[in-house]
Amino acid sequence: MSLVADPGLVSESEDVQTRTRGYASYLGLKVLGAIGSLMFMLVVNFFLFRVLPGDPARTLGRGRLTTDAQKAAFNKAYGLNQPLPEQFWTFLKNTAHGDLGISIQYRVPVSHLIWERLWPTVLLVGTSTILATVIGVYLGIRGAWKRGGRFDKISTSLSLTLYSMPEWWLGLMLIAGLGVGFWFVPGIFPTGGLHSPDVNPSSLHGILDTTWHLVLPVTTLTLAYLADYSLIMRSSLLDELGEDYLLTARAKGLRDVQVRNRHAVRNAMLPTTTIIALNIGFVVSGAITVETVFSIPGLGLLSIDALQAPDFWVLQGFFLVASAGVILANLVANLIYGWLDPRVRT
Amino acid sequence: MALGLVLGSLLPAMALGSTAQAKDKVVFHVGILGEGVDSLNPFLGFQAPSYEMWGLTYDYLVGYSMTDMSPEPDLATKWKTSADGRTWTFTVRSGVKFSDGVPLTAKDVAYTYNRVLHGTVEQSNWLSYLTGVTSVTAPNDTTVVMKLKKPIATLPLLPIPIVPEHIWKNVSEKDIKSYAAEPSGGKPVVGSGPFRLVQGTADGSTFKFEANPDYWGGAPHVDEVIFQFYKNDDAAVQALIKGEIDFVEGITALEVKSLQGQPSITAHNGNSPGFDEIAFNAGSIDVKTGKPIGNPNPAVLDPKFRHALGYALDLPTLIKKVYQGGGLPGTTIVPPNYKAYHWEPPADQKFTFDLAKAGQLLDEAGYKKGSDGLRTLPDGSPIGTLRLAARSDSPTSLHTMDYFKQWLSDLGIKSDVSTYSSSQLTGVIYKGNFDAFQWGWYVEPDPDSMLSYMTCGQRNGSSDSWYCNKAYDKLYNKQHVSTDQTQREAEIKQMQEILYRDSPYLVTAYSSIGEAVRSDRFACLVPQPNPGGVWLEQYGVYNYIHMKPVSEASNCDSATAGGELSGAVKATSSSDSSSSTGPFLIGAGVVVVLLLVAGGITMMRRRTTVGDRE
Repeated sequence: MSLVADPGLVSESEDVQTRTRGYASYLGLKVLGAIGSLMFMLVVNFFLFRVLPGDPARTLGRGRLTTDAQKAAFNKAYGLNQPLPEQFWTFLKNTAHGDLGISIQYRVPVSHLIWERLWPTVLLVGTSTILATVIGVYLGIRGAWKRGGRFDKISTSLSLTLYSMPEWWLGLMLIAGLGVGFWFVPGIFPTGGLHSPDVNPSSLHGILDTTWHLVLPVTTLTLAYLADYSLIMRSSLLDELGEDYLLTARAKGLRDVQVRNRHAVRNAMLPTTTIIALNIGFVVSGAITVETVFSIPGLGLLSIDALQAPDFWVLQGFFLVASAGVILANLVANLIYGWLDPRVRT
Repeated sequence: MALGLVLGSLLPAMALGSTAQAKDKVVFHVGILGEGVDSLNPFLGFQAPSYEMWGLTYDYLVGYSMTDMSPEPDLATKWKTSADGRTWTFTVRSGVKFSDGVPLTAKDVAYTYNRVLHGTVEQSNWLSYLTGVTSVTAPNDTTVVMKLKKPIATLPLLPIPIVPEHIWKNVSEKDIKSYAAEPSGGKPVVGSGPFRLVQGTADGSTFKFEANPDYWGGAPHVDEVIFQFYKNDDAAVQALIKGEIDFVEGITALEVKSLQGQPSITAHNGNSPGFDEIAFNAGSIDVKTGKPIGNPNPAVLDPKFRHALGYALDLPTLIKKVYQGGGLPGTTIVPPNYKAYHWEPPADQKFTFDLAKAGQLLDEAGYKKGSDGLRTLPDGSPIGTLRLAARSDSPTSLHTMDYFKQWLSDLGIKSDVSTYSSSQLTGVIYKGNFDAFQWGWYVEPDPDSMLSYMTCGQRNGSSDSWYCNKAYDKLYNKQHVSTDQTQREAEIKQMQEILYRDSPYLVTAYSSIGEAVRSDRFACLVPQPNPGGVWLEQYGVYNYIHMKPVSEASNCDSATAGGELSGAVKATSSSDSSSSTGPFLIGAGVVVVLLLVAGGITMMRRRTTVGDRE
């Protein structure tokens, strides 16, 4: 008996070992890949923006830097007079030290600028992404389960309508309706800004005030994103509905809700997870139109302003953060997949 | 979900309660559209709103009058020039204190100017005002002496904010290029101006100023000024209607028109000291070798051709259609706001919309119509297609060029409009690869720098038309060092006449800025220039100091007599009524929403059971 059992034990522990080693090398490979992509982005970012037409001293200093001496003083102070290879070297050296340079437009360290703009964006886009995911997935499940029902018809056409509306228009409608008020409905939400100018954003009052200011922009983005999730969830659940295992589950006598939640939805979640992971990566890229309509000082607005100058250092810093966000989210998604589904590792 | 809705609806009610508590303070909320504050450090920023922030925080040696922006005493109570015009002596007001209690003396003034003269990045913003200054000294606490190589005609205008030496001497040359000069650790920025910046950061969207009760010019009548930067016109206009802000700056003429119908709002288009123009490539060259660069059409290089096109512009139509009525037809590069320097072309020289005359002038200059109806160059070869450039970030620019294209085609000249972003267009201009573009300038109270942009020496510098005329340059150099004001004015007018004839620029419009104020709350705003000018973003910060809440506005300060926005507009304060009924309406709204949600849930439930039974 023991002779029979022993090989089995040995082989099983071996199997566990190869599995862990497999995951370790998979993890190492993915991390290396992510670092590689990030380095690549770093180099591309530098040269990409140098190709942009425009001279910051001329664009920003129009009517201000009128003499050659003034222009020279400006270019020298912000390292714009150095030859390109030297600028590139300074850029690599400084980035390695965590120094992203000084913004040409705002004359403050870029890291400070990005950090300050990151939170409004994460609050706005992050909250909307989470809300859109939760509501969208719910709508998708409900819709698919009773396909063709009244709920499905209404939710699908509604989310598609919202999806096809330009975000700025939707935002303006919300401002006009709920910000300013109409007929006898009072305007209860503010028309723009991240918080009232005279509150401390980290106090309790400040947090409530910020929440109040974010209601309309978050609603706008959530409504606009909704169809992304609801439609994918709906279609992937529909794919599962014809599967035999659902019939088996029903035959076992499980209730409808159990069949749906424990069996069908679990399998249908995979494509939606991909979308969620990708979109979370894009959170730090900001939402330019909604930030503009609601005057929220986020990363989207920062990048647009920087493009006009062009403010090289801010652009580089912003794209570094944005690409790092996407690469990181992808890496995490890959790692989770690898853990959940061993087939992915090969 | 229902819980979330209830919470969401309660929040505004709580916020309303909090603003009601702070009601005793008079707060002036300003909404500004467009570019924000790029730096609070007066040695670094370039954008107009930054000037507004410095103006509130600091003082200037010499101020600007409200009527025509001519020099007026500010920190300096009086000044005199030596006979040769090379020594200026300013008498500095005594008893002025910085916000930290340290007295402001002539030493601070000299320190500020010397920092510009001998600094690095400090030069970038201000050196042009001190070009030719050899030394600035403060022999005692109330005297500043400025020595010059040659007389400078633009003096005594010195728009450089005076900073406290005891703070700025600790900012090294290395640090100043990224020194923020922002409030830190709860302490306001140290300055001597009528307000103190207590909250705000470069690139930020809100800035909060508190009144300086000890201001030497008298305490302001408002306790706080708060700036909020908007990126979207509609949102800003709605905020004004709703009463979230008291003033909005930078709206379109169309929005001004719509706001003029509102009972508690006064809106206008203020004449700003700026102009828009159609500029030509008057001869792009490599300044080092003198060889032509780029590929301008030979036609636009000819002053006669450009001048003839002046008669092909229907400026009244442009103002009506493109500027929606906000603005005036333009003539020269010195706006009529500056009466002393503006040259108005006499009737026989002034451009009128007269295509026949334009055609006749073109015929005389040799640009005759060929058999195909298109005009040719004097040598008989076809003109080809003129490349007109418009800025994609400005609808005005696009529409102006579209009209121009139509008028050119009426004259038998083909053209194409391309659009560029402003920074792209800058690149195109400096390569000389264009025939004409649309842009504009703001002109300072002394037109010297604007006039300098048209000199030969500014080609590949601030000049964007590549214009060069020796006679013009001679006059420029002469007026630049002139000590005789009457003669200088005559020279400046003569320069404008030359430009009008050579037409490197066809000035299309004197622009205006749309502004609106809650006249049910604030009064005593004076336009600059008075009358016809703007209320905000003036030269100096007169209105912030002298404006009053409506309740106190029965007597506006005497200096403001005439043309000001008086407290006569007594409108029902709609904001008050909405805030008193607000909570009730919100409560009603919550109930309605709850009922809807509850009803919806019940219906869904019922539908579910029906579905399950199937």
